[in-house]
Amino acid sequence: MNEIGNKSPSVMLDHVSKWYGEVIGLNDISLAIEGGVTGILGPNGAGKSTLFKILMGRLKPSQGAVRLFGIDPWKSTTPYRRIGYVSESERMYDWMTSLDFISTLARLHGMSREEAVERSKHVLNFVGLGDVYYKEIGKYSKGMRQRVKIAHALVHNPDLIILDEPLHGCDPIARTSIMNVIRELGLQGKTVLVSSHILEEIERITEQIVILNNGKLLAIGNLHAIRDLLDQHPHRILINCENPRDLAGLFIASEPVYGVRFPDKGQLEIHTNNLSAAHDALPSLIVKSNQKITSIENPDDNLDSLIGYLIGGINHG
Amino acid sequence: MLEGFDISDSDIDIAGKQTRMEVAYGSGDGDEELTAVVAKREAELGAIFDQSYKQWEGVLGPRWMRNYSIYRHHVYGIFTSKGHRYYHPFVRLTILVIFLASLAPIPLLFFSSLLPGQDGDFLSKMWGINRYNLWGQVLGYFPRNLCMWPLLTALVVGGMISDDRKNGTSALYFSRPINRFDYTIMKYLSVFAILGFVIVFSYFAYYTSAIVFRGESWAYLVDTLPIFLSGIIAGVILVMTYTSLGLALSSISQSRFFAAIGFLSIIYGTKIIALLIEMQFDTTIMYILSPYDCLAHFGQFLLGLDLNYEHPLGFSVISLIFMNVISVGILVSRVSSMEVTRE
Repeated sequence: MNEIGNKSPSVMLDHVSKWYGEVIGLNDISLAIEGGVTGILGPNGAGKSTLFKILMGRLKPSQGAVRLFGIDPWKSTTPYRRIGYVSESERMYDWMTSLDFISTLARLHGMSREEAVERSKHVLNFVGLGDVYYKEIGKYSKGMRQRVKIAHALVHNPDLIILDEPLHGCDPIARTSIMNVIRELGLQGKTVLVSSHILEEIERITEQIVILNNGKLLAIGNLHAIRDLLDQHPHRILINCENPRDLAGLFIASEPVYGVRFPDKGQLEIHTNNLSAAHDALPSLIVKSNQKITSIENPDDNLDSLIGYLIGGINHG
Repeated sequence: MLEGFDISDSDIDIAGKQTRMEVAYGSGDGDEELTAVVAKREAELGAIFDQSYKQWEGVLGPRWMRNYSIYRHHVYGIFTSKGHRYYHPFVRLTILVIFLASLAPIPLLFFSSLLPGQDGDFLSKMWGINRYNLWGQVLGYFPRNLCMWPLLTALVVGGMISDDRKNGTSALYFSRPINRFDYTIMKYLSVFAILGFVIVFSYFAYYTSAIVFRGESWAYLVDTLPIFLSGIIAGVILVMTYTSLGLALSSISQSRFFAAIGFLSIIYGTKIIALLIEMQFDTTIMYILSPYDCLAHFGQFLLGLDLNYEHPLGFSVISLIFMNVISVGILVSRVSSMEVTRE
């Protein structure tokens, strides 16, 4: 396993671009990732799948260099000995039990029969399927199938794990379970790439994110650092209450609030340049208003808004 | 958290008889007379599984181990449900029937060895070892090349690659250290092995049992062995040609039905066209389009039989080579593009 260069980063892209005819899939992406969990965020069509296809050797970059552990994945299958990949759309052999399925895939990595069975049982226990691994995969729920996919990606103890939308279509319990698995893998020192178009999913798994939009790399780094940068931009807070106009009077006099709107009946939208300060001021103002508040939302706390601000920031910059 | 806003579960009896819905909406509201049947399940705490990941310190095996695994899991499906290629029980049953039918001369040989005198000799000539019977065991048209071998091939190659195309399960291989050459060659070998087992093994069993049942001597073995080996070569070429054609069809489609019907159409269609042209124009040249007839022609030459075809043997041999090369070319090109966009 160690015949591959260990000193190279797990993932390295150097000015990688990919065109589909006249449509651009990836636009001059350069990044290096080593260790821990990294969330690849972006709306549909942002280039996440193109990035993963390039990493998995299924697409050849139009320009630039891709290296996995220092090796070009288009030219060699050697890096795949150290990679576990979970595709979003991939099907499995539904007629097999998950134990048989995982152990046969372990054997595709060259494990002996006994090793394959033992290791398969371990990874199936790890993803929480220890009590159902003698059941056919066709009888599993969507969440259980996702966990089988993760188990088959882990069976050969990979150093780099690529998970394409692993939480897609899962129920809340399965989500929590898969998130725990991903976090644990990151803590073990594995390099894990997780794609999603839902910010809060990634937020619960990792702080290290890469944001893609229209094939461009918008941001890379710590999520909180990116959010702090965005605090300089206007934010909105939406409050559902009995009498929004009375509440608005209190808020407009408050320092961090520079504007208010009434988007609907019983709704107050506050505009602020300092989200943290506005949230600090909220409880005392609500108590002072003596009103019943049914909900407080941050409409800007999603990926679309984040990308919108980032694009705005780039344009302004 | 907002003041006076308590969302704790302290008042909810999650381990007792009261459900969350009862807590939420209350009970004893004056409607006690009314009854309803509801699916009521006591709330319980979920089990927390052991989520500790253990590193594996073993060494992954070499390329041949991985390739053997691909081969094994494609052949395995005939016997168990552990294979990567799923065989419907009816398909398995049909393959078993074809295999048993291919062994049909063996009990007749045994029967002939039990009968004394002229009856035994007659049956022995009917079913015993000679050039015609050895040729017929592999290349006879009815029933083997009309009913058995094409059907067997169609059933085996049907989903061999088309299922991977349809379901995207080839990604399971290509995201591992398995290249497309290994994938293709192991699929080819697994089909070759299954067809070879039924066609060539039944031929071998037939020859061996003839010697055993009649207690033949070494001299007999020396006389017949070259003919037997020629038959083996003919059988291997037949298995190879049918495998190439079948897998090429399987690789260009997402439907196992298309591959199976396509194969049968090629085998029967070309034969019928050639037969009609022969009847109309009194020429056998069009048989070079029929894979079966090319194989039969070459097989007759190998086993030293009189040739049934008027056109030169070379035409059939070139046609066979051409069919195999074209089929393998299609197979390789289609597998190269699986799961890959190569603009």
